[in-house]
Amino acid sequence: MNNSHREELHTFSKIVKATQGADFGSAVQSSLSRRRFFIAGGATISFGALLAACGGSTTTDIARIGNAPEKTKLVDAPVTDIALLRTATSLEHNAIFVYEAVVAAGLLSGDAAILAARFLSDHQAHAEATASLTEKLGGKAFNEPNPRLQSIYIEPALRLITGDEAKGIPATDDPVADVLALAYALETIAGSTYQVYVPMLADPALRGAAIGIGEQEARHAAVIGSLLNPGRLVSSFGLSIAAEYQEETDVPAAAYAVPTAFGTKAPVPVTLGAANESGIRTSLNLETPSLNSLVYEYLDGE
Amino acid sequence: MTAPKIISASPVRPTEADTELLASVQASALAIRDLYHAAIAAGAGGDHVASLVAIAAHHDAYAQAISSLIGRAAPQARDSKLFTDNKANFGADTTAVALAAHTLENDLVAAHTEVVGSLEGTEGAALVASMIIIEARHVVALAAIAGKSPVSDTDLFLVTPEAATADAQTTTTIA
Repeated sequence: MNNSHREELHTFSKIVKATQGADFGSAVQSSLSRRRFFIAGGATISFGALLAACGGSTTTDIARIGNAPEKTKLVDAPVTDIALLRTATSLEHNAIFVYEAVVAAGLLSGDAAILAARFLSDHQAHAEATASLTEKLGGKAFNEPNPRLQSIYIEPALRLITGDEAKGIPATDDPVADVLALAYALETIAGSTYQVYVPMLADPALRGAAIGIGEQEARHAAVIGSLLNPGRLVSSFGLSIAAEYQEETDVPAAAYAVPTAFGTKAPVPVTLGAANESGIRTSLNLETPSLNSLVYEYLDGE
Repeated sequence: MTAPKIISASPVRPTEADTELLASVQASALAIRDLYHAAIAAGAGGDHVASLVAIAAHHDAYAQAISSLIGRAAPQARDSKLFTDNKANFGADTTAVALAAHTLENDLVAAHTEVVGSLEGTEGAALVASMIIIEARHVVALAAIAGKSPVSDTDLFLVTPEAATADAQTTTTIA
């Protein structure tokens, strides 16, 4: 019996005491205040629920309160090196999907298109590398975009950029700026993911391989940051440096080549799409894959 | 619905061998911080002096973080050879400083990647990994400060030179 049940029992016993020996004749009944009436009624109902919650009855009578189906056993899903590598491959395919979609939509041209093509090629190489490592460990490579990240980040972000008439979402006013902002966030998260994996991977050699890819993702992010904010390449926020070298603002810029002293695991906010009637644009927070976004080995059997 | 659990038999705290490696990483960080300070004092930086100051502060932060991890085993002193060998390149010329620092940061990325693959304790590995992510970004910032273009000089921004990687695998000149 938990505390809430005890409290209900206590309330009930107070009501019983308050009504003990009472004359329930019409005169007295009329003097029973409305408040006490409700208290008594409430206690009766609560007590019924309490009895049901206490359970223990196997009767086949009409009342079925308290019967429940058996719990489904949780799947045993260890975070193995294989699961982490499969997730890494899936994340690379998320990035590949974005760059391919952006190219197919003709959203980038000139230097931006050249850089996007290079980043795409790098992600393809990373996907091959992580898939190969997965297979070397005896696992099955997952050569698809991460389904959860695709549905919660990638598709909504692309929809905000290109617009979706069916859903009443207008296209953004500045697709190039939005694509760069999305790519910055995505590359930052990709680097952070490999960083987060380092202490999770059981094999130290794999940790080196993982951060070797992660640092390349970080370079992608830094290149985009340097294009978005060429006047201030390295953020001064959080650093103990002389005031003359600090930025003259209380709010960090949306992007830097180097935003922090240490690689961050924090979410990366990105603002995309057309402004609504109040002038507000949509912000998404991209995060490294959580335990519910990992591509566990057991998922192949589902 | 899953019941995830992380499978790793690695120790959390640095082992004795880890401590030695991390001490070396700290000595390098302090040497590189001092090289940036020397360049700034000499007048390098131009429009990007604040960025050089910030990068120097990052390396100081790395040294402090390692101290907090390995305590009294931290040398708290710079790698003198690393500092002396590179001092001449960290004068008043901003472009020369940026290019020299670009090379050093690439060397750090390569060396620290090797270190992460060698460390047994997960705390040390996580710390060095978080440094590598930013050292890689330093490389990009320094290439930009040196006036290079990410389109025409792409590899300067995106690739750790093979020489740096090979050096990291065979020597301990920088860690």
